Parts: sequence; structure tokens; C-alpha cells
Amino acid sequence: MSVEIRTLAPPVDPLEPGPLILGAPDDGELNRELLEHVYHPRRGWALLFLVAAGGTGLLVLGITVTLLVGIGAWGNNIPVAWAFGIINFVWWIGIGHAGTLISAILLLFQQKWRTSINRFAEAMTLFAVMQAGLFPLIHVGRPWFAYWLFPYPATLGVWPNFKSPLIWDVFAVSTYFTVSLLFWYLGLIPDLAALRDTARGVWRRRVYGVFALGWRGSARAWRHYRIAYLLLAGLATPLVLSVHTIVSFDFAVAQLPGWHTTIFPPYFVAGAVFSGFAMVLTLIIPARKLLGLERVITLRHVETMTKVLLATGLMVAYGYLVEHFIAWYSGNPYEQYVFINRATGPYAPVYWLMIFCNVVLPQIFWFKQARTSLVVIWVASVLINVGMWCERFIIIVTSLHRDFLPSSWSIYKPTWVDWSILFGTIGFFSFLFLLFVRFLPAVAITEVKELRHELAAHGPAAGHDAVGVPLAEEESQS
Amino acid sequence: MKISPWQGGGRAIGIATAVAVAGLGLTALGAAFDPRRALWAYLVAFTDWVGIAVAALILLMSFHAANARWPVAVRRVLEVIPLSTALFLVLFLPVLLGARELFPWAGPQQLAGEAQRAMEHRKSWLNLPFFTVRAAFYFAVWIGFSHLFHRWSVEQDRSGAPGLSLKAHRLGAGGLPLLALTLTFAAFDWWMSLTPQFYSTIFGVYYFAGSFDAAIAVLIIAAAWGRREGIFGGALTTAHFHSLGKLLLAFTAFWAYIAFSQFLLIWIANIPEEVPWYQVRNRGAWLPVGVFLALFHFVVPFFVLLSRRIKREPEKLQWVAAWILVVHFVDVYWVVMPHLSPAAPHPHFTDLTALLGVGGAAVAFTLWRLRGRSAVPVGDPYLQESLRYDPR
Repeated sequence: MSVEIRTLAPPVDPLEPGPLILGAPDDGELNRELLEHVYHPRRGWALLFLVAAGGTGLLVLGITVTLLVGIGAWGNNIPVAWAFGIINFVWWIGIGHAGTLISAILLLFQQKWRTSINRFAEAMTLFAVMQAGLFPLIHVGRPWFAYWLFPYPATLGVWPNFKSPLIWDVFAVSTYFTVSLLFWYLGLIPDLAALRDTARGVWRRRVYGVFALGWRGSARAWRHYRIAYLLLAGLATPLVLSVHTIVSFDFAVAQLPGWHTTIFPPYFVAGAVFSGFAMVLTLIIPARKLLGLERVITLRHVETMTKVLLATGLMVAYGYLVEHFIAWYSGNPYEQYVFINRATGPYAPVYWLMIFCNVVLPQIFWFKQARTSLVVIWVASVLINVGMWCERFIIIVTSLHRDFLPSSWSIYKPTWVDWSILFGTIGFFSFLFLLFVRFLPAVAITEVKELRHELAAHGPAAGHDAVGVPLAEEESQS
Repeated sequence: MKISPWQGGGRAIGIATAVAVAGLGLTALGAAFDPRRALWAYLVAFTDWVGIAVAALILLMSFHAANARWPVAVRRVLEVIPLSTALFLVLFLPVLLGARELFPWAGPQQLAGEAQRAMEHRKSWLNLPFFTVRAAFYFAVWIGFSHLFHRWSVEQDRSGAPGLSLKAHRLGAGGLPLLALTLTFAAFDWWMSLTPQFYSTIFGVYYFAGSFDAAIAVLIIAAAWGRREGIFGGALTTAHFHSLGKLLLAFTAFWAYIAFSQFLLIWIANIPEEVPWYQVRNRGAWLPVGVFLALFHFVVPFFVLLSRRIKREPEKLQWVAAWILVVHFVDVYWVVMPHLSPAAPHPHFTDLTALLGVGGAAVAFTLWRLRGRSAVPVGDPYLQESLRYDPR
């Protein structure tokens, strides 16, 4: 049955959200449109790629200097023994949370708006986790011994300290990365097969063919595929929570004021999802335009994501509020001083920037105008990521630089090497991302096709997400 | 489908009222002999049930905020449960009147050293007048919101105006921050301040997590009961129970996550302000209670709820939900009672009578508010869709 799907006109009923797919593309059209950016790189891609490669060069430089000089090339020193290394780790890991949330948790919640953005968000997750992993790896000082972090029986007789959450991090992050990679790759297989079947040139076909693992799209294969996909979603769901929970343990198990607080696990998870969605928006708003994905990534998707930003931003604000209240309530002078020092001490500007970006700014998303203005959303999403970086800076540096003993207080300043590694990872992240959109479809094409069929089959009666009003009906109305 | 206003339930209301009168009466009798013991039992019962009513309101508002359409068929029940906050305002009086027996900051207890210093410091927050003002504010928020949602929905039964849904969606989203704060500070006031020195930032979330899990359980029991009674006119399908069961599974796990986070962080840091709270509970006869909670509030229900078959059969699912209510009571008991008897739990008959008394009153009140109107929001524009709900 072929049903035309309403194009432009916004829904008349205010209770009906906007469409998930604009127009009424058939499967062939969707295939051509969504694979287009793989076959014909967009203008400007090469330029962006060069810039990103330059950023990656900066990263290589930073790492080289670190390896030659040692960790002394960084600004951290007692009492601030942990600084950019862990700030950036937590920041990138946080960003890496949206992907799995979108692909796994929203799948279990039967949210259809996840369909066009899951591939994109999962790729972002993988690349963000790679950046995150770099930091502890370099920070161990002798990365060539990093494998000592894994418990394995060796003649050395040395085991990692299982009581340390840093070791739990190794397990949590590597598990998360593995499951996310499998999930992403599994989702890619039918699209890889489509690439194999449509690509020009023998070599392209061969390479895509190898990665498509002989996918023929038989009913049996689809059945197994569905089961595997659902199982991986179920497995990935607790992982979304566990990774940032364990990252929060890195701090909260200590006795340091500002680190030791019981709200940290859920509050870190909320913050991670907050920053992850902000990063998805930062990337998707330009990408949907540049890659010509506006038909399948609509304003509805963007608006829904801003609502997630608002909700998780409020959870983060709740965390701040409770932390501050309890610091006063505790009557513990050290606990209280941390929060006074954060707001009025040498790092006060960073603190207030954090409050502005994470607490004040997201409140604009109470208003429909802000939720539907792409420019406003894009700027806000960038600022939210700045804010979340500031949050980690505040938690880590302000708690360390003035602790119990005033005689050991000091000021932390990052060096140029610190900054070049941070900006270098942004470059490397973009580099990987640009490669991804160059060689792989940025949208899960098979899933979009499936959604389109569902919408067409159920028509307006399918409600929730089916906004496909048969064109005839609309014409008769107008 | 035709749904007429629900007129039944007379017998159920009668039974619940009888249980309430008997339970509260016997608790009062217990109070005549041992006022302190009965008051503590009452605090457990009160915080157990009022938490469920408020969590039900949060669930309702979350559904509105998310524009959720599938729960419309069960929403009337969820709208009525929070109305009982008005009843809880009255039931709060014994707690307020007995505050001096319950809270170390209000009573004549002599504290010394650090505990006394902490009490001194918190005086501007923890004092009876301000405590009362705060409680009044919490109840104003809960009663106000629950009545608004109920009123709009009932109005929609008649008019079917979609604008009312829009209003409910907006208030649902906009009101959630206020609900989060009132429940958090209620947890700080009614539970956390029972210990002179203790503080934990996650405490509000802990109260929320347990109560929310129990509220979902109450909704499942009510839905299963209503389905048997036929008050929904066949509106509920197995798919609805499946989704409610999934929610119960998710929040059983969430409760465990929050409980474990708090435990691990306090136990591992081992600092003197915090760790006594767990020391009391990890010693002697309280330890088995904690182990029981870990096993039967999490491990067992979690694995039972993984079963798709159980979630889709209301007759089975309701028993799991009932079990969640039992373990939630144990959880509340475990949080509150060690303050009264640190060495070991000393069960008392008022523990049971207060629980049944307050619960009976809440059930009778809720059923009474459910009567006389259709038990399904018949005017909701999404109702048709909810009736068809059947995700693959």
C-alpha cells in the first residue's frame, strides 16, 4: 500500500508533534538520498578534513612532548595531582553517553524518533570514548606498560588494586566501548550490504562486501539480527548507567570535601547524558544541512532533543542545589569552605560560567521558540559542553587546590601542552567523525525505511509517531 | 466502547474503612500504653504511604510531561491516588504533635560533643516552626497539583477539550522540579533529621526511588483489581500490564542502584559523620534486615520481573507488585526504626496496626474519590490510541 505522507505544513493540532519524515520518499529515493554523501563527498568536506587533521597533528605534538619530557610537561602538581588528564577524560566519556542512550534505552522505550539519529549518535559515542581513553593512557606516564592495568597472571606477581575505582574504570570503559562498537556495527550491517550492492568500482564493493559479512537480507537473517539487536540493547542499558557511575566513584570514594558526596552517581549520569545530547545537537544541526539529511532529521528530532537537554539540565541543577544545601547543613567547615571557595575563590569565573551554561541557559528550552530555532539551539549546545567541561574542572581542581591543610594550598595552571592535547582531541574526534560520514551512511537507512513503512501502514491512526496523513485527505481539508 | 460512571466499590470502601478505623484505633490504644513506640510505628506507616501518594503524582506528571499516550487507559486511577495527599495532611498531625518524641533536634534529648554542635548549627533550619511551615508548603504543592490534574481530567470527560490535555502536559513538565524539591526536603525533614549528625546528598533520591517503585506497584494492583471488577470496561490490555511491569522492573533496579551507591560511598569513605548510620544497620539483628532487602527488594523481584510471561499476566504481576509493597515497608522500617532501637528490631503490634490503619484510610479515601465518575478518562483525545496500544 502506498500512502503519500504530508510534507511541509506543520501539524494543526497542538497535541500532535511534528513529522519524523518529511515528504513521501519511497525506498529507492531514501537509499539514493541517504547514501549520496558517501558516493559524492560534499563540498567543504576536504577543507574540514584538513582542519581536523591539523588538530590531530596538535594532539600528536602534545603527546610527543609529554612522552619526551614526562608528565612534568603538564601543569598538574601536588596538591593538584589530577587535572586536565581526568577532566578531559570525564568530559569525553560524558559526551559518549548519548549514543548508547539513544540507541539502546530509547529503543526499549519504543521511541521512534531515535531512528534517524541513532547511527550518528553511536558513532559519536565511539569516537568520544576513544578520546577519553587517551587521557588515562598518557597519564600513567609509561603508556607502554598500560596493559598492567589488566589483571593477568604474570611472573611479575603484580596485580592491580581491585579496591580502586580507577581499575573499575578500566573494566567499565572497555566493556562499554566493546558493546557500543558491536551495537553500532550490527546496526551497520544491512546498510553495508546496500553499499556493497550499489557502490561503483570493484574495490569499493569488495571492501564493503567484506564488512557486510555476507548479508543477504533473508527473513532468517533478519530474525537473528532482530534478536541480537534487542539483546545488545538490553546489555547496553545498564552500561550507560554503570560507566559514569564508576567515573563518579573515582571522586566520591575519597574523603575529600567536594568529592565525597553520595549524590554523585546519579548526578554524574544525568550530567553525562546532558553533555552527550548537547554534543549530538552541536554535530547534527550542521550535519543535517551539509549532508542533506533534513528530510529524515526533522525539527521534531531536534526539538525532542532539546527537551532531553532541559530535563537532564534540571537534574544537574538539582545536584548542585542539594550539594550546596548539604554542605551548609553538614556544619562541616571544610565541606562548606569548598563551596564558598568555588563561588568566590580564584576559580570563581569558571564556577559562574558553569552555573550560567548548565543551569541558567537550558531554561530557555521551556519555550517553544527556543526549541525550534536552530541557531539558538546550536549556540546553546556548544555552551552547554563548555559548561560541562567547567563542571569537571570545578569539581576536580577546586577540591584539590585547597584541601584540609592551608599550608599545602596552591594554584593550578594548565600549560600549553595541556591545552594542545585538549584541543588536539577535539581535532582527532572531528577527524574520525569526518571519516565516518565520508565512508559510511550517517543515518540508519534500513531503520528509516522500516519506520516509513510503519507510518504509511498505520496512517494518522497510528498516532504517537505516525504523522503520515494521506495526501488526499490533506488536500480535501484544504 | 461505553464506559459509565463507576458506582461500585461500596464493599471495598467499607472494608478499607473498617481496616482504617481498627488499625488507627488499635494504634491509638497502643499509644495509650507506650506513646513513644506507637508514634515511631506511626512515622514508618505515614512516610511509607505518603511517599507512595506523592510518587504517584510524580508518575502522573511524568506521563503528562512525556506526552505519553499508552497510559491514558489507566490514568484516572493514577489521578485519584495523589488526591489522598489531602488525607495525609490530616494524618500528618500526629507526627507534628509527636515531633518532640521523634526528632532529636525537637526533643529534650541531651546531646553531647559533635552531635550537639551539629544540632546547634542546624538550628535555623531544624526547628519546629520552620519544620511546620515547610511541611505546609510540601502539602500545599502536592494537594494543589493533584487536584488540578484531577479537575482538568474530569472536566475533559464532559467537554473533551484537547486544550485541557495541553494544559496538563505543560503543568506536568513545569511542575516536576517543584515535586522533586518537595519530596527531597520531605525526606531530609522526616527521615534524615532523625540522626543528629548524619547527612547524605542522595537521601531525597533514595526516598523517591523506593516510593516510586511502590507507587508503580500500587498502580499495577489497582489496575489488576479494576480489570477484574470490570471498571475499565475492558480498556486495559495485556500490553498495558506488560509496560507497567517493565516500569516496575526498571525502578526496582533503580532503587537498588541508589541504595547501593549510598551504601558503597559511605561505607568506603568511612567518615565519622556518616558511617554510624550504616554501622547501626550493619550490626547485630539489623544486618539480616539489610541483607533481606538486598535479596528480596532487588535480586529476586528483578529476576522474576525479567519474565515476559509474568509481566503480561495481571493475575501474576499483581502478586509481584504486592511483594514490592511489602519490601518497601521493610525498607522504610529499616531506615526509620534503628533510631528507636539501635541494637535490634523490636517488632510491636502497632507497627502492623499503624501500617494497615494509614493504608486502609488511604485506600478508602482513594476509592471514594474514584466513585461516581468513569474510571477511564473518556474525554482524552489519546484514549483511542491507548486502547489500541500494542507495541511489537
